[in-house]
This record gives sequence, C-alpha cells and structure tokens, in this order.
Amino acid sequence: MTHDDDFADLDRMLAALPLEEPPAGLRARIMTATVFRPEPAVRPWETWLIGTFVGLAAWLAWLLASAPNAGERFVDTTNRLIEAGGLNSLTTVLWVGVGISAAWWISQLTFPSARRIRIR
Amino acid sequence: MAAALAVDPPVAAPVVDDQALISAVLAGRSDAFEEIVIRYERAVYNLAVRTLRDSTEAQDATQEAFFKAYRALGSFRPGAKFSTWIFTICYRLCCDRLAKRKRFSGDELPDRADPSAGPAALAERNDEALRLRAAIDALPEKYRAVITLYHLQGRQYEEIASVLNLPLGTVKTHLFRAKEQLRKALMP
Repeated sequence: MTHDDDFADLDRMLAALPLEEPPAGLRARIMTATVFRPEPAVRPWETWLIGTFVGLAAWLAWLLASAPNAGERFVDTTNRLIEAGGLNSLTTVLWVGVGISAAWWISQLTFPSARRIRIR
Repeated sequence: MAAALAVDPPVAAPVVDDQALISAVLAGRSDAFEEIVIRYERAVYNLAVRTLRDSTEAQDATQEAFFKAYRALGSFRPGAKFSTWIFTICYRLCCDRLAKRKRFSGDELPDRADPSAGPAALAERNDEALRLRAAIDALPEKYRAVITLYHLQGRQYEEIASVLNLPLGTVKTHLFRAKEQLRKALMP
C-alpha cells in the first residue's frame, strides 16, 4: 500500500473541490490598475531633470541677487541687450511684432490632409 | 457573386496559448491582457485567499500580482509557464503581507482561520467542499500553500517547488504532512 493509496479519498476530494469565485468587480479593478491605468504626466526621470534645473536656476538667481549692486547691474545688462538687439528702435519692434503675428497666423492655418488609403 | 455572398461555416475560436497572448500584450493589445486576467484571475485569487485567509486582502494581493506581472511582462522568459510565474508573484506578495501582519500583531503565525474549524465542528458540516476549505484554512501557512498549489497546479511538484522556492523533497514532505493533517481533520 502506497501513500497515494492512503490519500486516495483526500485526493478525490481535492480534485472535486471547486475554486472559489472571485468577487464581482475584481477583474475591472485589475484592468483599471493595469491596461487602463492613465500614464503619469511626468515620468520619474523627467521629474528629476526638472528638479535639477529648478534647483540650479534657484542657485544662480540667489548668486546674482546676492552680488553687490545686483539691481543696477541687472538694469545695465538689460539695457545693453536691448540695444544690441536693436529693440530700442520703434521700427524694429514693429517688424518683430509683424513677424510674430504672421508666424502665429500661419500656425493656425489647416490644410487638407493627403488622401489616406485604408488598409484592410 | 454567389461566392461573395456565401457565409463562412462557423469555426471554433482557436485556443491561443499564453505566450501568444503575452506577445500581443507587448504589441499593445489590451484585450489580450484581459484574456490573461480571465484565465488566471480565479486561480490567483484562490491562492491569495487560501494563503491570507482574508478576502479583502486577497483581492488586493491579486490586483497587485497582476499589476506587477503587467509591468514586468517584457521580462517574462519565453518557454516558461505563465501560471508558475504569476503564482510566484502572488505568493511572494502574500508572504510580504503575512510578514507585515506578524510585525504588527506580534503573533508567531497570524491566524484568521474560522475559529469553528476544529474537527468536531467540521464533522457537523455537511458540505464536503466547505469542510475541506475550512480544514485547509486551519493548516499552518507552509502546508496551506503547498496543498493549495497542489490543487491549483494539477499536482505538478516541480511547479509547486518553483513557486514556493523550496527543494522538491521539502515540497513532498510538506504535502505529505498537509494531507495527513487534512485526513485527521476530515476523517477522524
């Protein structure tokens, strides 16, 4: 007589034991947590990158702000940049404005898309 | 014309194997994952509920197991058995939950078994399935897992050993002792 014979009745009972039904809604829960889970707006590595840049920018801002005569220097630098870019001339500013508005209007235009071939 | 109007004879839907379903999921077909869930939800839930002896926790563990499997599907080894893989994930999650319970309650072995599951109470129960489930729930955790997988995995000892990360001999010993205890509880 083997161990298998000893447990023949028990094995029969186990084989006949039906599995418990999972609660209703469990499948929906699983699907919501997996396939239908919304993609995060920002990935973890992007969060780290943005955080690093923000930290660096804050540090630079603090360095600039804590420098002696920081306000005057900032005004001087801004003036010099405006002069270098020719933005102190009304004509230049107008043409820049025209260019920006033209670019915006072009970006709003829609063109008919190319004929699409439906693949079956 | 007649050929165009002819209706194809009904053909039985082909049974798609797990590997093909996994490939389909990886190719972005969400319906393939739903098919996987339909196939294994019951078995995974049963493993969790027998191991944890708590339906709410078992549902959470089942959901977490499928979530982990879904995220790691790309690393699933072709040729391996999906059932063994998902059972392994589920069993580890259940062990983590049992360990947490033990930490918080301080019990040697957390026991949420039906307190009326003693032999006398069991003998009074008419339903064989209920009696058997109650007897399994009354087993120590290590035996409970072995007997549950023995039931779920269709007596594949190697698969059970793989899920539980135990040597084959230990699985056989645990199974023998589990059966002995079950027999004592059910057939006094």
